[in-house]
Amino acid sequence: MASANIGASQKGRKKALDAEVNLVPFIDLLSMCICFLLMTAVWIQIGAMQIKQSHGTDAAQTSSKSYEMSVQFSGASAIQVSLKRSGKVVKKVDLKDSELSKVLAQFDSTIKTWSPIWKAGLLSSAMVTPAKDVPYGDLVATLDVLRKNQIVNLGIVPVSVR
Amino acid sequence: MNCGENTLHPKSFTRHLLARNHKKKSYKRAVVVGLMLTSMVDMFSLLVIFLLQTFAASPELLIVTKGVTLPTAITGRELKDAPVLSISNEGIFLDQKLVGKTDVLLKKPEPLIEKLDALRELWQKTHPGATFVGEINLQAHRDIASSVVSQVMGMLPSSHYGSIQLAVYGGASSE
Repeated sequence: MASANIGASQKGRKKALDAEVNLVPFIDLLSMCICFLLMTAVWIQIGAMQIKQSHGTDAAQTSSKSYEMSVQFSGASAIQVSLKRSGKVVKKVDLKDSELSKVLAQFDSTIKTWSPIWKAGLLSSAMVTPAKDVPYGDLVATLDVLRKNQIVNLGIVPVSVR
Repeated sequence: MNCGENTLHPKSFTRHLLARNHKKKSYKRAVVVGLMLTSMVDMFSLLVIFLLQTFAASPELLIVTKGVTLPTAITGRELKDAPVLSISNEGIFLDQKLVGKTDVLLKKPEPLIEKLDALRELWQKTHPGATFVGEINLQAHRDIASSVVSQVMGMLPSSHYGSIQLAVYGGASSE
């Protein structure tokens, strides 16, 4: 037990000055604090992906020298990626596979080869066009690949549900 | 003492007593085991301080609406305090309040736009002189068709909400 030895008695008359602190309630309190903190802690971290919605606002102002990327879902596991400059298609790739994860891996490697364009600051924005049969989770996964490649000015093209 | 013990005669009474005493000592062992509580208290205190610092620094800004499972992403950044628009299978919610069914609101978006405008006006009243940035947190169930989410997102710029933050699980690094 914790104790503080203040001074020993030399003669039998004086009382011992050893003061003892009872640590048991203190340990109980600390244990309860730890349990409370662990139980009330938020273990799942929620983050955010910023999207600039250019339709109806002046968010995307492009110059004639800058490129625009267009990522269009043509199916549940098929995407069409194109780079445009002044409205003209400069590069175009069609990616298709049995699973979207494989398509996204191809997409990642494809846009890595184009990275000098946005590293030079020549990419104004990347617009993603969803499709009816593509779940929202897959759309976010595509945006995640773009953000992973330092493309941050992202937009989503509104498409008709019908 | 041992030296003295060796010098004694093997059959002497003193040696016999010493041997008996030694025997007794070897049989009896201490029953009370001492536990160092100080180091345990130190460890507990450090653990409490660590947990307090870890969890108190990141307040929960977003309450995930019932029936919404957010998609996961690795590039998510820190959430900002803004109105929360939720799209679930049950309908569209604005700050946890049901605005209407998704298919109905996609055809007639007026109730949603009115509520968004009211929120913007309230913000402008509470922040006089400040420019409205138009930030909104959007949380949608991951299995909902992306075209539905895109259509809802398309309505937001008309109410001057141009900076949309898609809520995702994971990430939350401060960029």
